[in-house]
Amino acid sequence: MKDSQRFTFLVAGEAGHGVRRSGIVAADLFAEWGRYVFQMDDYQSLIRGGHNFSVVSSSPQPVLSQYLNADLVIALDARSLEKHRQHLSEGGILVYNSDAVDETIPGAIGLPFSSLAKGYSQAALRLGVGAVSVLAARVGMARDALEEFIVREYERDSEGNAAYALSVYDMATAEMGGSVSLARGDAPATLLTGNDAIALGTYAGGLDMYFAYPMTPASSVLHYLAAHAGELGITVVHPESEIAVMNMALGAASVGARTAVGSSGGGVALMEEAMSLAGMSETPIMCILSSRPGPSTGVPTYTAQADLSFALNQGHGEFARIVASPATVEEAYRVAAELMALSWAFQTPSILLTEKHLSESRMTVTLPDLPCQGPEPVLSTNSQDYSRYEDAPDGVSPLRFAPSDSIVKWTSYEHDEKGITTEDPDVITLMQEKRHRKRDSLVEHLKSRSCVKRFGGSGPLIVTYGSTTMSVLEALAYGNLEARVVQPLFLEPFPEWEFADLQGDDAIVVEQSCDGQFTELLRRRTGINVVAAVLQYDGRPFDPEELAGRLKEVL
Amino acid sequence: MDDLATYAENTWCPGCGNFGILNAFKKAVRRLEDEGVQRRDIAITAGIGCHAKIFDYLDLSGFYSIHGRSMATAQGMKLANPRLKVVAFAGDGDAYGEGIAHMVFAAKRNADITVIVHNNGIYGLTTGQYTPTSKKGFRGPSTPEGSVEEPFSPLALMLSAGATFAGRGYPGRLDHLADVLARAISHEGFSVVDVLQPCVSFNNTYERYNASVVEIDETPGSFEDAYRLACEFDRLAIGVLWQTEKPVYHKELLQGKVPVEERQSTGQRRQAIAALLQP
Repeated sequence: MKDSQRFTFLVAGEAGHGVRRSGIVAADLFAEWGRYVFQMDDYQSLIRGGHNFSVVSSSPQPVLSQYLNADLVIALDARSLEKHRQHLSEGGILVYNSDAVDETIPGAIGLPFSSLAKGYSQAALRLGVGAVSVLAARVGMARDALEEFIVREYERDSEGNAAYALSVYDMATAEMGGSVSLARGDAPATLLTGNDAIALGTYAGGLDMYFAYPMTPASSVLHYLAAHAGELGITVVHPESEIAVMNMALGAASVGARTAVGSSGGGVALMEEAMSLAGMSETPIMCILSSRPGPSTGVPTYTAQADLSFALNQGHGEFARIVASPATVEEAYRVAAELMALSWAFQTPSILLTEKHLSESRMTVTLPDLPCQGPEPVLSTNSQDYSRYEDAPDGVSPLRFAPSDSIVKWTSYEHDEKGITTEDPDVITLMQEKRHRKRDSLVEHLKSRSCVKRFGGSGPLIVTYGSTTMSVLEALAYGNLEARVVQPLFLEPFPEWEFADLQGDDAIVVEQSCDGQFTELLRRRTGINVVAAVLQYDGRPFDPEELAGRLKEVL
Repeated sequence: MDDLATYAENTWCPGCGNFGILNAFKKAVRRLEDEGVQRRDIAITAGIGCHAKIFDYLDLSGFYSIHGRSMATAQGMKLANPRLKVVAFAGDGDAYGEGIAHMVFAAKRNADITVIVHNNGIYGLTTGQYTPTSKKGFRGPSTPEGSVEEPFSPLALMLSAGATFAGRGYPGRLDHLADVLARAISHEGFSVVDVLQPCVSFNNTYERYNASVVEIDETPGSFEDAYRLACEFDRLAIGVLWQTEKPVYHKELLQGKVPVEERQSTGQRRQAIAALLQP
């Protein structure tokens, strides 16, 4: 059922038409009106041409997903018209660039976006400004308010953009013959992408240095932190490869800098040998893994949850790994901060597993003042006879950093308490058990907090994770369906203890994987009886209308 | 008593060139101490192989890294705490094979670390396979008919990549090697010392090196001369082949900051985030 207050704007065109920027500006417009926003960009791995679109759904009530069927669809080229003319919600309006389409489309409004842009520099890039102007006309924004808004949003040649915007606005107003009135709300004014929130959360959790090599869809964490490094007082390094990234980060951590790294599957695969090094040397490190469809290069700019097993099993050998996957932008902030803390408290690698859909989608958020930073690292006060790998009862040996009067040896080899290489069976056993106890301590810590989120009090059981949780919740709301939704936030160590009461229950799993990796994980680790799996693996996020239909079939 | 030694049992083969490198390095450390360097400010890292056992034999702090990565580990340590003098030990398999990219980039960005390459032209610990610096025709378990690859000149490569200090040493000339090592560690910027290391078990080069090494008293005045010297195979010049000054990576990047000493407080983090989110 459509929330009558919801309004969705969809703008589509070629790369180089300013489509993405147009989506951002539209989202800002809705947010300024106190509306909740969910913005999803669909773009290809190219710089010019191709087909891009941005969908911005907004409502006075929280929105957890884009809706593909829009109230206003703007097609800036012929291909966009072809692809999106069916994406109209009931009563929706289709506006197309009449300069790019030969025929007249019945029931749609053709506007000469390109001719109006002639005479301005970089005319093609202006088309997105035109799309925003049509939106302004549609939602009844006043002419002078639009002018002021465009000047604020488009800093480069704001004068030209404002003039162009008004020419499109006037024509659109005349053609559309009236506007809809959008209810204002009291949503927070802050709009962030998942990657913005991850970057800030990592910082809130103590980040000093971020090392990364660009790879979509994780690159924007690197870009965000690099752009703000000065204001944040951190150091951002982009070295020659992901192998350098991870090894430099471990070196930095070994002398006391709190570090994080980030990439997508391929880049993390290159880091993997050093992930195991972090396990053996007990070096704290937080790794952001933002998934796209694989295997291999796969589909770089689209979404998937197919790296779950990869994340859970990072690094050869046995050591404690921490894997958590946030559902929302706000949760991404909290989880990033907490993983930084956990890595340092338990001196082991952690992975923030997310996917393009959360990394690059933009939402209205209220970030908590400073999130729970979790337990503090254990520091050594022994400056005379320090042992890096002291056989501590909880497996967590106190930390100390060079320069120090008592030497500090970190190592990839199996070692004695001082960090000197060993092949002695008793010492090997001692250290294996010490690391194992550390994992037990980590599990004990996780038991002191909630690692699994639950939504809804009655109805059939749905289990999901990551940003798919948002798709499920939005689909249930849209379809007016009753269900209990369970989302494990932590995936390793897997919080089995929080599934005890669900043993034997029938459940439906929703995930973005073809093999059903999460389904398998649940079968293995919980007593839940998975009766149906709703899967999607075409690189696109679930659409709530479609997902509601699929859920209805299995609930 | 040797206060730079640990209790670790030394397991290098008797006569191994690594002993000379260990002793020369200790001499270099003592000389640096005489010059005012504090021992606690020296941090070491090593790759994997016979060379890397030196990590356990030295009573110094650091990180025993993995194969080919000690140069990356070292750069991370230096960036996080530029007050440390960071020395990466590496084998020729580490530095010129598995981790060659880190060497090239450390030289390119003039990272202020010292890489000491135990170049024995052999993978000793894995029982004698050919390496990037083994001569063509080298017979080992992976090339029983003889390697068909030509070796490259590692120092010429490092010079091309922008190394601001390139040295070569030979454990058979211990004091000379100690001098080159001390000068490399004192050098501000990327320094590499290629150490001609005989492997008594798989590639015993003592005789060849004794006959062919030539100590150079003066560092060549031009890059071209240094490069030519680095490429000579029959006559092996040992000493400082090249030294120059260039902007140093961590200084450019950090602008005087010491990340581990200037961590942001919780209050600063709170403020910075609030300021960033201001509409």
